[in-house]
Amino acid sequence: MASVELKGLTKRYGTIAVVDDVSLHIEHGHLVCLLGPSGCGKTTTLRLIAGFVEPSEGEIRVGDRLISSPARTLPPEQRNMSMIFQSYALWPHMTVTENIVYGLKLRKMSRDVIGTKLDAILATTKLAPLAERYPGELSGGQQQRVALARALIVEPETLLLDEPLSNLDANLREEMRFEVRRLHDAYRYTTVYVTHDQSEAMTTADLICVMNLGKIEQSGTPEDIYDRPRSEFVARFIGSSNVIKGKGVDATHVDFCGVALRCTGEKIVAGAQTAVSIRPHDITITAKPPSQAENVVPATVVRQVFLGDSRDYMVEVKDGTQLRTVTATEDNIPQGSQVWLHLPGDRCRALSG
Amino acid sequence: MTIAIPATQAPRKFGIDVSKPVLYGFAAVLCVLIVLPLSWLLIYSLTDAAGHVTLGNFYRLFTESSFYDPLVTTFIIATSSAIICCAVAAPMGWLVARTDLPFSGVIRALVTASFVTPPFLGAIAWEVLAAPNSGLLNKIFRNVTGAEQDVHLFNIYSIEGIIFVISCYTFPYVFVLVANSLDRTPGELEDASSILGGGRWYTARRVTIPLVLPALLAGALVAFLQAMTLFGSPAILALPAGFHTMTTKIWSLFQYPPKPELAAAASLPLLVLTIILLRAESMILGRRGYSVVGGKYGAPRLIPLHRLRWVAFIVCLLVLMLPVFLPYAALFNAAFSPVATTFLTFQNATLHNIEFVLFELSAASLALKNTVILGGATATVGTVIAVVIAYVTARHAVAGWRALGFLATAPIAIPGIVLGVGLFLSYTRPPFVLYGTLWILLIAFVTIALPSAYQQLQAAFRTIHPELEDASRILGATRLRSLWQITAPLLRTGVIATWCFIFVGVMRELSAAIILFTSETKVISVLIYDLNESGDLGAIAVIGIGMLIITFSVVIAVNRIPGFGTVRFRT
Repeated sequence: MASVELKGLTKRYGTIAVVDDVSLHIEHGHLVCLLGPSGCGKTTTLRLIAGFVEPSEGEIRVGDRLISSPARTLPPEQRNMSMIFQSYALWPHMTVTENIVYGLKLRKMSRDVIGTKLDAILATTKLAPLAERYPGELSGGQQQRVALARALIVEPETLLLDEPLSNLDANLREEMRFEVRRLHDAYRYTTVYVTHDQSEAMTTADLICVMNLGKIEQSGTPEDIYDRPRSEFVARFIGSSNVIKGKGVDATHVDFCGVALRCTGEKIVAGAQTAVSIRPHDITITAKPPSQAENVVPATVVRQVFLGDSRDYMVEVKDGTQLRTVTATEDNIPQGSQVWLHLPGDRCRALSG
Repeated sequence: MTIAIPATQAPRKFGIDVSKPVLYGFAAVLCVLIVLPLSWLLIYSLTDAAGHVTLGNFYRLFTESSFYDPLVTTFIIATSSAIICCAVAAPMGWLVARTDLPFSGVIRALVTASFVTPPFLGAIAWEVLAAPNSGLLNKIFRNVTGAEQDVHLFNIYSIEGIIFVISCYTFPYVFVLVANSLDRTPGELEDASSILGGGRWYTARRVTIPLVLPALLAGALVAFLQAMTLFGSPAILALPAGFHTMTTKIWSLFQYPPKPELAAAASLPLLVLTIILLRAESMILGRRGYSVVGGKYGAPRLIPLHRLRWVAFIVCLLVLMLPVFLPYAALFNAAFSPVATTFLTFQNATLHNIEFVLFELSAASLALKNTVILGGATATVGTVIAVVIAYVTARHAVAGWRALGFLATAPIAIPGIVLGVGLFLSYTRPPFVLYGTLWILLIAFVTIALPSAYQQLQAAFRTIHPELEDASRILGATRLRSLWQITAPLLRTGVIATWCFIFVGVMRELSAAIILFTSETKVISVLIYDLNESGDLGAIAVIGIGMLIITFSVVIAVNRIPGFGTVRFRT
């Protein structure tokens, strides 16, 4: 069993903690996405797992084997892992075949075994016609598939991917996302995937860890992260979100422009400044006051844009806060009109911090 | 002196951690190469012959006219050369980079040719051309005008002659800086000024010239530096004329009776000035960044010269006659005519000089043997040191890599003759008595070769993405195996090129060798200098042509390697 366990993992350069007390348990065969903006420590975390970087504190275990700690760090070549790099790192002086079988040759496999495995992986990744080309003669997508083939052919316990799709154009990227997930489902390696692209994370991951400033802000399933963000950072980073601020009234209500907004989510402290997030498409906007009064806030339309399949409104409430909402195209309310917003209580997420 | 190495505690790994010994080992080697000779230089300059501490050496340096005059002469030569270099190289650089000058590639190639010509060889060729009595140009002048035998048009043995010859082989430095800067300055910057209503001259004055000025200024400093630290050309041309420059004065202090403490004192101003000038150069060039700010630019727009195209081309060729065509022709003439300064005809052509060099000149085979041994050893040792340090600094492989990188580039600030003096002082005393052996020359040549070798290899490493090695390691290869299977093949051309460059550089080195050689350890460049003293110009021409052929082969071969750094020889 190759579950991966990070415990209190910290990496400091000088006094700056690039990775700060990260703990994470990855089940065998799961695909975990480390998601965050550039500089959040996700790539360093990955390189810590790979063994290219030694931790300042904390430890990494694979199964019950300790592979990294400040005192002992197993070098990358002894970890039985595989990695796909952002630059692909294909060796320009070797052909596609030579690149792919490199790991097998290191494992001293017989020529027959290597041949069989090579044919299989070339077929899976649709690279057979390109086997004798050099990396410089391949397109970006083809290079990407060679990198995948080279990493997968050694049948690693753990597969690490460092922004593997960021160098591809948009169409190819979408296609390869599903390809990564398909290959993962076929081989079931424990996989750690680093990306800054939330839709990439959504489509591929079993578990998403949103990272910020070296820490894991929140981890959970894609649904969890999207529907139940716990902090303002996560709410803003995953999808677009309105974050409004008000004073806590009681354990379930926040005062927003004189309306006691019923909220779910994090614990609300009465009297404390509380941030609340709500997705634009969860807000209903009406030109007349709605019949029910709970969680209804009056506002003015600042601008509206026709987007073809929807309308995008910017509205302003009494205290000057602006909110974005998205409606069906037929709800055409002119700029400057008085409107009423309904913010459903189960969609208003009180945030921590 | 000690070298500060940041004391970070590397975590203990499995197996043996070799990074620390490597770091300390190479730091120690570099310290021996650089710090030891400079320390002895300082100590000697501050003591008298009896070993007492004194400032007397410096006092004599700045008061006695036999020391003071060379200082002034050197200053005049260096300043004039720098001005002439700028005046010639800046317009030529602009013509080549920015106008529709025909065959601009040929012009660039010819500038490279004068760049790689050893300056002492050029000086000797100009002796053949413009010595007052026997010079070929003076003979032509007398034939044409029917003037008397004692009338001459040119006298190369003069301060003007020295300035001229030094400028011939120094202007390429300015040319390269200016042309590169213009190549990198997008034409749109000038177009933007034109569209806003700036006329041609207004645009030139407000946009083009200010953009190129830093490169030109830096070029002037480099030219000054070259002219100041050169030994060969002044030794060949000033000594017969009866005056000294700083470098020849330092050399003369090693003639019998040797006065090493005065030589040390005279070396220090050269060293300090070099360091200051190099600092100034990097400060000026460091701010150049503003010429390539943001956006995407097309190729620079070439300015049409119309009918002046061919005029400009011919002017460039005429200028390049001086460092290239005329001297090469003079060497060719000297090699195949019975007397160097007799015009070569089909009747008098002879292979005697070649025979003489190959079979009769006993010193030649020894010098050739020494040069090949030293060239091979220096190139190998220098490349190995440079590869390791370039790897360490490019990959930040050990703590303290910055210190190593600094040490590897530091020798660039030590003029060859100053290094020669420092090494002489360091290795003529126990426990290291290396004077009189090839070892001391090896140390000198490795030190001189290191900075450019290091810079070239660091550039080569930068083209190899570190993830290429990481990919090999995560698939199961050790660090050493990754280096061998991935990095080494990718680095091969760069390493070979560096090796060849160092070899060629050793062949050309004169200013350190002239202080350190003994009769048993003569090298080719010293032999040429000796042959010049004894007037064997024909033999020099044969050896010189051989040197040029080897040099050009290496430069042409290396220029075919894409993305490899520019040629940068030291003289």
